[in-house]
Amino acid sequence: MTATFLPWIVVLMIAVAGVQIGRRLRLWRRGQPAPVDWLGGLRALPKRYLVDVHHVVERDRAAAKMHVPLAGGLVAACGFLLIGLVTGLTAWRFFWALVTLAFLAMTAGALLEIRRRYPRRLARLSGGSWQTFPFALIAFAIASGLSALFATFGNALPALELLTLILAAVGGVALAATAAEGPMRHALAGATHLVVHPRPQRFGGGRSTELKPLDLDAEKLGTETPADFAWNRLVAFDACVQCGRCEAACPAFAAGQPLSPKHLIADLAAASAGGERPPYHGNPYPNARPVGGRIGLHAPIVSAEGVIHPDTLWSCTTCRACVEECPMMIEHVDTIIDLRRFQTQERGAIPLKAEEPLANFRGCDEPNGRVLAERTDFAAGLKLPVIAAGGQTDVLLWLGQAAFDLRGQRTLTALIRILTAAKVDIAVLGADERDCGDLARRLGDEATFQRLASANVAALASVRFRRILTADPHALHVLRNEYPAFGGTYEVVHHTAFLAELAAAGRIPLSPLAGRSITYHDPCYLGRYNGEVEAPRRLLDALGLERHEMARSGKRAMCCGGGGGAPVADIPGDTRIPDLRMAQAAETGAKTVAVACPQCAAMLEGVTGERPVVKDVAELFLEAIEAAAMRPAEAVRALEVEPA
Amino acid sequence: MIANADALLKPLTIKGLTIRNRVMSTSHAPSYGKDGKPQERYQLYHEEKAKGGIGLTMFGGSSSVSVDSPAAPWNQISVADDSVVPFFREFSGRIHRHGAKLMIQLTHMGRRTKWDTEHWLPVKSPSVTREPASRAMAKALEQEEIDRIVADFAAAAKRCQEGGLDGCEISAAHGHLVDQFWSPHSNKRSDKYGGSLDNRMRFGIEVLTAMRAAVGDDFVIGIRMSGDEMLKGGLSHEDCVAIAADYAGRGLVDFLNIMGGQARDHIAHAVSLPNMSFPVAPFLALPSAIKREVDVPIFHAQRVTDLATGARAVAEGHVDMIAMTRAHIADPHLVKKLSEGRADDIRQCVGAGYCIDRIYVGGDALCIQNAATGREATMPHVIKKAAATKTAVVIGGGVGGLEAARVLAERGHQVTLFEKSDRLGGQVNLASKATWREALSGIPRWLTGQVQKLGVDIRLNTEANEAEIAALAPDIVIVATGGLPQKGEASGFDHAVTTWDVLEGRSEPSGSVLLYDEIGGHNAASTAEHLAKKGCLVEIVTHDRMIGEEIGPTNQPVHLRELYKLGVLMTPNAELIEIYPEGNRLIAALRNTMTDAEEERVVDSVVVDYGTQPVDGLHFKLKDKAKNKGLTDLKALIDGRPQPFETNGAAPRGEGRAGGYTLYRIGDAVAGRNIHAAIYDALRLCKDL
Ligand SMILES: Cc1cc2nc3c(=O)[nH]c(=O)nc-3n(C[C@H](O)[C@H](O)[C@H](O)COP(=O)(O)O)c2cc1C
Ligand code: SF4
Ligand code: SF4
Ligand code: SF4
Repeated sequence: MTATFLPWIVVLMIAVAGVQIGRRLRLWRRGQPAPVDWLGGLRALPKRYLVDVHHVVERDRAAAKMHVPLAGGLVAACGFLLIGLVTGLTAWRFFWALVTLAFLAMTAGALLEIRRRYPRRLARLSGGSWQTFPFALIAFAIASGLSALFATFGNALPALELLTLILAAVGGVALAATAAEGPMRHALAGATHLVVHPRPQRFGGGRSTELKPLDLDAEKLGTETPADFAWNRLVAFDACVQCGRCEAACPAFAAGQPLSPKHLIADLAAASAGGERPPYHGNPYPNARPVGGRIGLHAPIVSAEGVIHPDTLWSCTTCRACVEECPMMIEHVDTIIDLRRFQTQERGAIPLKAEEPLANFRGCDEPNGRVLAERTDFAAGLKLPVIAAGGQTDVLLWLGQAAFDLRGQRTLTALIRILTAAKVDIAVLGADERDCGDLARRLGDEATFQRLASANVAALASVRFRRILTADPHALHVLRNEYPAFGGTYEVVHHTAFLAELAAAGRIPLSPLAGRSITYHDPCYLGRYNGEVEAPRRLLDALGLERHEMARSGKRAMCCGGGGGAPVADIPGDTRIPDLRMAQAAETGAKTVAVACPQCAAMLEGVTGERPVVKDVAELFLEAIEAAAMRPAEAVRALEVEPA
Repeated sequence: MIANADALLKPLTIKGLTIRNRVMSTSHAPSYGKDGKPQERYQLYHEEKAKGGIGLTMFGGSSSVSVDSPAAPWNQISVADDSVVPFFREFSGRIHRHGAKLMIQLTHMGRRTKWDTEHWLPVKSPSVTREPASRAMAKALEQEEIDRIVADFAAAAKRCQEGGLDGCEISAAHGHLVDQFWSPHSNKRSDKYGGSLDNRMRFGIEVLTAMRAAVGDDFVIGIRMSGDEMLKGGLSHEDCVAIAADYAGRGLVDFLNIMGGQARDHIAHAVSLPNMSFPVAPFLALPSAIKREVDVPIFHAQRVTDLATGARAVAEGHVDMIAMTRAHIADPHLVKKLSEGRADDIRQCVGAGYCIDRIYVGGDALCIQNAATGREATMPHVIKKAAATKTAVVIGGGVGGLEAARVLAERGHQVTLFEKSDRLGGQVNLASKATWREALSGIPRWLTGQVQKLGVDIRLNTEANEAEIAALAPDIVIVATGGLPQKGEASGFDHAVTTWDVLEGRSEPSGSVLLYDEIGGHNAASTAEHLAKKGCLVEIVTHDRMIGEEIGPTNQPVHLRELYKLGVLMTPNAELIEIYPEGNRLIAALRNTMTDAEEERVVDSVVVDYGTQPVDGLHFKLKDKAKNKGLTDLKALIDGRPQPFETNGAAPRGEGRAGGYTLYRIGDAVAGRNIHAAIYDALRLCKDL
């Protein structure tokens, strides 16, 4: 009986799921066109799933232990059954033993999933249909598994077998029926998303973190309604499995600002469907601002009447922690920036305090309204040649915003001193260095960004250099990854990497700063955006510092709160992100937090009260140089000590 | 972060010269010159400011261009011959290495100097006059001499340029030769150099024109001048504005360095170097007014002691560069601390004028509170960590004890500080209770802030005893228990109270008070002022030839001015020999020290100041058990070597438990001296412990 019916139940499930997902398909098709390499995507699917997705899933061991048998069992069992149906293998007992094993695995996975939810659900998981979903799974798995077991050992108890088959059919169809609106959607949309992913470059060990240029001649700038998203982005929202990993990583959520990337993605998935706003069973946005909740493919998303409050949008630091954690490879930051682009460029609806920097950008090419020629003011007492058009240098130093701020100037001064001591051939653009545009772009002012990018690319084209050096990971990211779209392709090196090179080359005498305990805070734009987590650590080790790691470090480090224009948007929460990060740093017992970004330095130094001191790696490096220069005198002093 | 900090941190370009920020030190004569040259000590002193982030440091106050303006009196610099050039080269290299700029002040002092020095030449001036302050009768200059001095200025400017200096100014302030020509007070000539303002300005024009011809167009030349002599018959504000506008208009100067007042006599001198009795930046209106009339950058110095005031002066456009000259004597790392966000760590000049006062009595300029200044070759401004951590106990929270605690804590030692009273600061708290001396409290305030920040264990209201000290098992014990006042030896001295009793409020005299001062310091003078302000009829009597004889020339005139204003009777040359009661009043018997004639006063109270006796009881209790018997090895101290028995880095901490402690005594606990002595005692000793 099983041999006859069970494969057909699977076919029935596929049919039901197909009809269901077909409804979603029609919806996705109403999104904007996007170039998609279907064939390449399909070919890459197994690898993307088994390698890239697994790489993320596996970070949470318990989740991996649950998902591998559950999904693997389900896919294998259904796969076997379909193959059996086509090949006639169903007549073979051994075949049924295999199917039974597959369902057994699935049962085990479903049990593990139940453990994650009962007696108490993990805080980041959703309730509602997500909470009952594992029961549908386990019912289907056990019923089908028993049927397969019967088939394995011959038809001994036909009545019972009929019962299990009916149960399997009911469970299976119930599962399949959730493929459009329910939990099962993640599997189909997720697989589709892997095929049609908007950033195929990020798979297979690649990295794709640059924002894509916006066509400024488009009729509508940025995203207002779900229908304005590219269709494959709509697929992405549907792929969300509400695992909450993004939410757990989100600094804004942790600080009690009204943002949860998980909630945001769920809102967007719901918004595209229209109709009644479906209930959401995850954590609410912290200190949620009330919204009207109007949804629909053509309803504005971000507004007091829509589903997402502007404060949610502006709380994001663009730290990419959510993207880094998402097992469904969803690109939250792209989404947030698209929504911001519309708010800023079409509605001029930006946070009050962000108005000034954006206005300054327009008038002064610089967010604080400073005169560009003043960027080198702080270096008046240092050796820092300004390169004229047509000039040449080995290393072009990109000063960035830090040059206008006392804290940043300290870092840059240290860096310039080191470079001078190491006799590195450096120069700066002087008044021709405009702001790199990072802030404007993250605040959604794409037009300003593009104007600044083109101007900087032109200025850089007028001089000759081998590579660009900067102490600002934001500038680094923009110059290295976002300017190529505007015709500027450069070798850009961060000062942590540059100084690590210098230390390794042994060109300057360094005296180890032994006995000093530090912890290194990875800047998001260096670690996650550019994958550079090794060089800074190599450098700190070379300085002889005693390094303690924070619980969250490297590519999984927590943001300092300084990125994406969040400090100027200044959306209030329960606490401040830098306070949280500083507490994590203090927890290591280190007396110094080493930073590698002017933004991080400013944010962390803004933390009041007793705390570790904040030092840029360049400052530490300079200390090691100075200590080396001082050593002989100390040595003499020690010899002079008289015996007691 | 202070307001307007970015205004201070903006570079200023004068001709081709870019100064990295707006903070400078004006030329002054610290008396560090040696053989007329700026040698190591002088250079290191300025190098420390360069390291500390200053934009422009001007050295060589009153450097002479001619042999008849001697360099010897304040150990100044002579630019009158070529032998100085190599020193300039070395000096400018040293300063430039740290990104700062270096300029000098050139001058001919005219009558404002002495004739009985190196060359024994009569002093020169436009006319035969005498300046009360410098006491020399001048010879009137003849045309040939004028031409020679003009040429001397030009040659000196050339030497500055050859020495790699970034520029120079000539002094036409404080009554030097150029402004002796300007001022009708000293210029009585009837030739082309005298009479009308145009004529009086001629000499300076000739000097600047010749200098420019010697150095070409690019070298920066400025002038230091008064914005108002504030002297009847002297240069009025209008005169000064006219001169400034004329010189700037002719393109003769690249900057104007404006100050207020002049220095022809004692009180004028005290005004031109305002001490703590003056408000902050009292004469800022003068450079501001001149800035409106001219196109060249304006510099200004005069009691700008904090960066916030300086920043405001620049941000509001009163001046282009703000000079914080004494402020840098107190803390040469001002700008660095500002840009490192450590403005709280700045040791602010309190305006005690100790630095300037010392040079007028033939000493070298030293800061009352920063013992490293001017001693850079041996004393660190930034204390180096010791190789090993020790346990130290400091007894006494006066400024000496505080400095010891600070330095030891900076060395990385574990420090416990005992203070008997409920407040840190010791005798300085007392001194600052008297009238305008309030600002002295800045000294312990800074020290207290530092020791707190450094985590020193401060035990107030705790009189240390042997047991308590032993319980800490210290490696080092510093006794800084200070001194207590004594009542002297006149018979019946028990009837007197001390100045301490008055200032601490233990005694509140009223009616007539005889205040007898055997010391000649600030103490008695300010107590007299304090009592007179409270309505007492005060007579201050001293053994010395005048009241406040020990007090330096920028402070003593202020004391005298206040005492005169309050009608305090001042009786010098008398000794207190006896006090006895008569009815409910007191009779004080005095003897004239010159004639031995005796006279009596009937008063309600007698207050005395005989200085302090060391408080050394605890020291002698601890002495026998100390490894070094409580004696500081003077040779090691002077040579800047660690003391014997100090096992720097060789022995682990807590060694004291087994090996015992070393014991040192500093400040007034050794012998009653002054604030600087106590602080220097502490720094000099503790930097090597
Ligand atoms: C020790 C000392 C010596 C000085 N000598 C000179 C001098 O030779 N020429 C001069 O123009 N000013 C001299 N000055 C005055 C300073 O240049 C400056 O005008 C004065 O200290 C007031 O500024 P301040 O309040 O910032 O310290 C001297 C000051 C000091 C403290
Ligand atoms: S980018 Fe960072 S701040 Fe923004 S939603 Fe993601 S985790 Fe939160
Ligand atoms: S967006 Fe990604 S990480 Fe966040 S809940 Fe959905 S699937 Fe999980
Ligand atoms: S001695 Fe006094 S006036 Fe002179 S610098 Fe020091 S604190 Fe200022």
